[in-house]
Parts: sequence; C-alpha cells; structure tokens
Amino acid sequence: MYGWIGKVLRVNLSTGKISTEALDPGLAKDYLGARGLGTKIMTDEVDPKVDPLSPENKLIFAPGPLTGSYAPSAGRYTVVTKGALTGAIASANSGGVWGPELKFAGYDILIFEGAAPKPVYLWIKDQTVELRDASHLWGKNVPETSDAIRAETDDDAKIACIGQAGENKVLFACIMNDLHRAAGRSGTGAVMGSKNLKAVAVVGTGAVTCADPKSFELAVMKARDKIQKHPVGGTGLRLYGTDVLTNILNQIGAYPTKNFQDGQFAGADKLGGETLAATLLQRPKGCFSCIISCGRVTKVTNKQYAGEGEGPEYETSWGFGGDCFIDNLDAVTKANYLCNEHGLDTITMAATVACAMELYEKGLITREDTGGIALEWGNAEAMVEVTRLTCVGEGFGKKLALGSYRLADSYGHPELSMTVKKQEIPAYDARGIQGIGLNYATANCGAAHVRGYTISPEVLGTPMKVDKDTIDGKPALVILFQNLTAALDATGACLFTTFGIGADEFAEMLSAITGVAYTAEGFLRCGDRIFNLERQWNLAAGLTTKDDSLPPRLLHEPIKTGPSKGMVSRLPEMLPVYYELRGWDENGVPTSVKLGELGLAA
Amino acid sequence: MKVQYFALLRDVTGKREEEWHQPEATVGDLMRDLVTKYGHAFERWVMKDGALWNLVIILVNGRDVRQMRRFDTPLAPDDTVVIFPPVGGG
Repeated sequence: MYGWIGKVLRVNLSTGKISTEALDPGLAKDYLGARGLGTKIMTDEVDPKVDPLSPENKLIFAPGPLTGSYAPSAGRYTVVTKGALTGAIASANSGGVWGPELKFAGYDILIFEGAAPKPVYLWIKDQTVELRDASHLWGKNVPETSDAIRAETDDDAKIACIGQAGENKVLFACIMNDLHRAAGRSGTGAVMGSKNLKAVAVVGTGAVTCADPKSFELAVMKARDKIQKHPVGGTGLRLYGTDVLTNILNQIGAYPTKNFQDGQFAGADKLGGETLAATLLQRPKGCFSCIISCGRVTKVTNKQYAGEGEGPEYETSWGFGGDCFIDNLDAVTKANYLCNEHGLDTITMAATVACAMELYEKGLITREDTGGIALEWGNAEAMVEVTRLTCVGEGFGKKLALGSYRLADSYGHPELSMTVKKQEIPAYDARGIQGIGLNYATANCGAAHVRGYTISPEVLGTPMKVDKDTIDGKPALVILFQNLTAALDATGACLFTTFGIGADEFAEMLSAITGVAYTAEGFLRCGDRIFNLERQWNLAAGLTTKDDSLPPRLLHEPIKTGPSKGMVSRLPEMLPVYYELRGWDENGVPTSVKLGELGLAA
Repeated sequence: MKVQYFALLRDVTGKREEEWHQPEATVGDLMRDLVTKYGHAFERWVMKDGALWNLVIILVNGRDVRQMRRFDTPLAPDDTVVIFPPVGGG
C-alpha cells in the first residue's frame, strides 16, 4: 500500500499479547485513516453500551494516510474510544511529531484492548514491540514521565502519555504527546488510566511511501502555496496564534463571559493574542511538516505564576480568562501549564471552574465545600489553586474532576453546566453565532468547535462571509463543514490547512499518495460516512435526539449586553431541517436510504 | 468617532486607537483616509483593488459592515469602529 503502511498493531493489555494484522485496503479506501479508520474499528469491535472505564472499552491511536508525509501540516493522529466524560464516541485529535513516528515505525493503527494488571508502558522500535513495567512512573507528571522513558529507551523516543489526572481517572483527563500537544477532549486520558497504560513510546526508522511521487509533489506544492498566500494560514496564525480571536469574539459580543452569563468582557484585550505576543511569547512553533506554526512557546516570569511551556490557545485563554471573569494572562498561562503537565483538557477544566464560580456566586457552593477558597469571579489565585487541586486529585479538586455537568448536578443545578453530551462548550457563544450552536448540538463527540468550524464563514469570512445572526442556510452549512472536517481529520492533516485549501486539494494529494482515485465529492462522502457511523454508534449507546441540544441558558436567556444583546440560540428551528438534510428521520436516526448511499446498510 | 486597531494594524499605525471625525462619512471614507495616512502598509491588509477585502473584519458598534453596506455603511459621530486585518484560529 502507498500512503498507508498496511499494518495494524494490536495489544491486549489483559494478556500481554501483541500481534499485527494487515490493514484491509477496502476499509482504508472508504474510511481513509485516523478518525475514520479508528471509528470503523471501534464501531466494529466495541459494544456501544460498554462502561468507558472498563477493560471492554478499547483505545485506538490512529494517524492518517497523509500523516508523516510532506503534505502541509500533516502531523496529526486521532485517539478513538468511548469517552469517559461523555459516554459518546470520542475522537480526539492531536499534532506534534508522535503520529508521524508511529507511521515511521510501521503502523497505521494501534489498538489497545483489555486492562493491564499493573502499570505498563508500550515501547515500539519498528518491529520490536514490548510492554514494560511502569510502576516507577505512576505518580509522575507528563514531563517527568517523558524524560524517564527516554532515559531508559532512546533519546529520540516520541512519547504519548498520561499524567496524574489520567491515573486518577479524572473524567476529562487527556493524552499528552510531545509534552505540549493533547488528544484533549472527552476523557481519553481517563480511559488510558483505566487500562493502567502510562505511555506509548515510539521510535520509527521507516518512511511513508507514495504511489505517484511527481503528482504528489505538484499537489503538495500547490496546496502549500495556497496556504502560505492566505493571510490567515500564511501570516496571522504564526504571529498571534489562535488567541488573536479573543478581541474579535469580544467585539462582536459572542465572547462567553462568567459561565455564559454575558457575551462581552472588559478585560478581554489583556488576554488576547496581541498581548500574548507582546509579553509571554518566546517563539511560534509548528508540528510535523507544518507551514503555519500557530503554537506558542511561552514563559511567565511573574513569580506568583512563573513557568515555561506552550500555550495558551484561544480556548484556554478564554476559559481560564473571560469565562472566569479573569484578565490576568500570567495566571491563565499558569493554569494552562498545570493542565499540560498533569494531562487535563483545558477547555473542560476551565469551564468547570467557571461553573463552580457561578455555583459559589449563587451560594450553592460555600467556602466549606471549597476548603476555604473564595471561588469568586475574577479571583485568579483561586482559579489556579482549584486547577492545581484537580490536577493532583486533592480537596475540592476531587469534585471538579467530575466536569461541570456532574458537578452542577450534584448541587441540584445541572442547568448551570454549559455542556452538550456532558462536554463543555468552547469559546464561541451560540446565541450570537447561530450556526456554531447547531454544530455544538450535533457534534458526535459532544460540544466541540473543531467538528464543524462555522466560525470561519460566520465571523471570519473564510471561504465566504455569511450572516452570523440568521439561521438561513445554516443546517446545510453545518453539514458541509462537519463532513469536510470528518474527512480532513481522517487524512491526518491539520484543520488549519482549510485556511487556504479544501476538498479539491485534499482529493489531489490523497490520490497521488495512495494511488486510489479520490474526487472532491468522494472525499466529502468519506466524511459523511464517518459522521454517520459515529452517529449510529452513539444512538446504539443510548443517546437520543434529546442529547442534540444546548443548555437552557443559551436557548432562553438572551445575552445581556453588547452587539449580541437580546439574542438566543434558534436551535429548535434549525435542528429539524438539519435532520432532514442529513437524511435522518425526525428522531435523528439515519434512514435506510441514507445508510445505503454511504455503504453503511446492515 | 473612535477607531480601534487590532493585530498587525497596531504595528502599522503605531496605535491601539485614535479619534477620527468627518461629517456624513461612510466606512469607505474612513478607510480611504486611513490609507492616505498610513500608506501601502495599511492598504495591503484591508483592501483589494480599492474595495473592502472580504477577509477584513470592520465592526461599527460591534456590527460587521460585511453584513451591512460594506464601504457604503454610514458612520455617526459617536460610533466606534474596530478594524481587524485577516486573522483566524480555532
């Protein structure tokens, strides 16, 4: 095979058996890789009703056919499992260099099943694969674990691991790779911790082969040129990172503030990418084969919050910032570092702190609950402290470790959790931007911005500008973006490449590298197939149309101030149209006709 | 009225914000005046062939001029205009 390596690595942690299998070319053609192939294997092999933290759940690491090639920004892999936070299918996507290294070692897919009787890590050096004792690593954070494993394996080993949060099965623990990159959402790290799997260390000396090198070179150069000439992909992201969005979202009044109680924050500019670039930024950083370099290598010298690391991204800056009514970028960055070091999803962590602050404001949580911490809006010191407690599993951090839905529910007020499918909503207010709310409600992994990023057309104007305030055409727009994203995720490329290229360019690159002829339409159909397969599995897991919703606040409480004042999400009007255009019935179930079209009929 | 700059436009203008006044002005009048004042370094981030570049976000009191009358959007003396060059994230 070309593009794909053609091999699946399977590790049974219960028995210690390690085996390899040939990758089915037919499945590879239809599901591409990464999120696609990972989902296909997950849905074929795992009972949807399984307890996410039981040995019966599986944990799948999957790069895509472009991963490890010199296609632009093609350094990504996806972790597919049943989400510990959500109970829905999880497919968390990460960059860095770990995904390409797994390909270089000779594998398209790595499947973990069962659970180890004691802590272990997997060491892969090409065809040599072994489970090693990790008892001495249990309790170590991500940098300590990575250093220790490199010291006992290979200086060049690429490490994906969990920190203490994953060990403690914090429901929104993530898997960190290359120290600072995260397969972030839905609780993949908790699943890894439940399997007593501390890390996967990889060294690969192979390469990704190409069916038509000359055509691939032409297709890649064309794609690179388009990305580099686009002002966002070529300039903006490198200079200011994703955090440049702070001021935009705040100025249009869709910057969720105080746990979505309002849509503007007076301190936003102190948190934005412009301030970050002028203060904490040491240098921009890219992942494997990246030509964009949105990553932020940062350093905080303020003694109270001192540290070095990467971030914050926009979502993190917003969550620990405006959502908690905090304008202290040093404190926000410190909380980001803590999450990276201990392996926590920053979006859910931050939004859970914001939820707890509202519970505290309303007197539902007291100082007695928090262990004496005054969890008041704007209290940066308290925000960092409760984040630290969650990282290490102490005190009030044990309550926050449940995520905002279970936290608010335990105090009798689940409506104060800003979640969909128990996963926290990111940094764009669905009341002021109608399409993104429909995407949040229908994303199969729970609320996520990177499953159908309609912010591009609704706010930024890429590839075209549409009116963010109306619902006209939004169901079709969301479907197009969700299908494109599913297919793109399955290639192993970065979503930010879409600031420059689209389905046509991906079809060209995929055709050249794999030797399988893809068209733009066929590429989008792959995305549609992946999305519907995720949907079917979620329905079988017990999710229903009631889970395709938004928190009552976004549906019934208008934004109080700013340009979006008076607006609520019009999701109830959009959802039936979305179902119909998707080829689903009124209960959100894919029809037999639709499944037949996609080759998913039983 | 107040004009605020973000991202690269802060470097180009050397300012975060400034006052601008012209009776019965439009967004186009403002932008052409700013191009005259700050030159090509400003123009290249906001215009294409003399018209508003579709990736540029200009808000008048928080409302996107691309959802109004673009360069023909009228301005009032107490308006706040904010200008973002093409930027993005996610």
